[in-house]
Amino acid sequence: MHSLIQALILGILTSGVYALMASGQTLIFGIMKVINLAQGAFVVLSAYLSYSLLTAWGIDPFLSILITTPVLFALGVGIQWALLRPLHKDDAAELSLLVTFAVALGLEGLLSATYSTTFRSIQPGYENFSWTVLGYQVNAVRLFAFVLSLLMLAALYLLLQRTKFGRAIRATVQNPMAAQLLGVNSRLVAALGFGLGAATAAAAGAVFGIITPFNSGSHYDLISRLLTIVVLGGLGSIGGSIIAALVMGVGTALVSALASPIWSDFTFFVVLLLVLLLRPQGLLGAKIRGAL
Amino acid sequence: MSEDLTESATRPTGDGSTILRLEEVTAGYGAGLILKGVDLTVPTGTIVCLIGPNGAGKSTVLKTISGLLRPKDGRVLLRGEDIGRLSSRDRLDRGVVHVPQDRSLFPSMSVWENVLMGAFILKDQALIRSRMERVSALFPIVAARKHAAAGSLSGGEQKQVELARSLMLDPALILLDEPSIGLDPKARRSVFQSITELAADGRTVLLVEQNARSGLAVAHHAAVLEAGRVAITGTGEELLRDPEVARLYLGASAKGAAPAR
Repeated sequence: MHSLIQALILGILTSGVYALMASGQTLIFGIMKVINLAQGAFVVLSAYLSYSLLTAWGIDPFLSILITTPVLFALGVGIQWALLRPLHKDDAAELSLLVTFAVALGLEGLLSATYSTTFRSIQPGYENFSWTVLGYQVNAVRLFAFVLSLLMLAALYLLLQRTKFGRAIRATVQNPMAAQLLGVNSRLVAALGFGLGAATAAAAGAVFGIITPFNSGSHYDLISRLLTIVVLGGLGSIGGSIIAALVMGVGTALVSALASPIWSDFTFFVVLLLVLLLRPQGLLGAKIRGAL
Repeated sequence: MSEDLTESATRPTGDGSTILRLEEVTAGYGAGLILKGVDLTVPTGTIVCLIGPNGAGKSTVLKTISGLLRPKDGRVLLRGEDIGRLSSRDRLDRGVVHVPQDRSLFPSMSVWENVLMGAFILKDQALIRSRMERVSALFPIVAARKHAAAGSLSGGEQKQVELARSLMLDPALILLDEPSIGLDPKARRSVFQSITELAADGRTVLLVEQNARSGLAVAHHAAVLEAGRVAITGTGEELLRDPEVARLYLGASAKGAAPAR
């Protein structure tokens, strides 16, 4: 029982980070119907940036997010503007898969050349610190990460629900033509939305780099997890992806504690398979859209 | 069908000026042309109804006016200015608002937010607030279902919200694409009632209507579009009485009589 609850705590705390990564992915899909295969690479890039900021200047990884977030935002806007915007409308959904995969490979190559493929991890000095609460271990970094993810998700929610820019994004997601007819610049919204989605990778990357050793190839594993979460949550539903991240985080932690860590990653995909068989629209999705 | 509203002769018909003129407009997608030289004159403050068979290019006419589609050739003159190459946004600034066919609301957003989106290009908060008040007074549904998700409303209610939203910019010219499509008779009556009120308020309405009889009944002027060209023009009443129009677009029951109330 003790190890079960311990696993539950670990699962919940971990899921916050995945929820953050997946919400960016979902946002991008929702606005542009683009499945961004580079989101994992954005997370890894952010992890390296935080790593370098720590090793070169001693900047705390949680603090480094203030620097990496605008960088990732600008990178996202740039990629959308230069590579995705020119795609012809009719093939955009399919071609953007290839383009974002190319971006992921490009980033991977760049990071391999810069950092070699040695596994790194961000070690701010308190990475193994934990509190003991009622006999249970609560890892400090994971707790910070969880709280940070909640804060970021809340900020994202407020931005989308309470600002004019957020309304423009939601309007474009729900009815692009009607939004355009009301004067929304859908190209600008697409570029900023992609930037915003990429920016969520910055915080996620810093945390990911502390709790997991990573190298330039880590994005393959990350993107498959992210896609699983996004599909499980229902494509385009941020609420759904948060719940899915929780299901996945807790599920894998429980399997890891009850059976073996070997089976925990496998759980991810078994759950995905079951969802696709029983509820192909995902947990909260209305339906799987168009070409998907 | 008895949803016809008022007789066209009893309504005021603007100041005699022309707000919109299409001259030899050709437009289409890719290589194909849908509009093959459309000429159309829309007098200020009137309701002009465009009817015609499916595929004649009725919606395309509205798209070239609102900027969703740029004409390949010809001129789109708004108060004498050629707006054919301007962006949708620039045309909004000039008071041209397009309510597209089918559901054009944002289904997960509240009714209030949907109407607010109608003022997206405005920055003056006080102006937006006063417009919201005016629009809510004209369309009670806006205040009554303020917080409801737009997608949860009935088709007729959604159309009312769409019309409310289109008024947020206080437009001079409203393009309405098939506003009565998919509505039950009661909702249809209420939509045509609203359209009549828009024109009575001094606005110009260019209406595309599959339900030709109701459209012609509220229209001051009308045109029949066939294969990308304007084939027949006249007042709404003239077209209702035209035996050729009656045979093709009004169904066999048309006997040349003015519509009954």
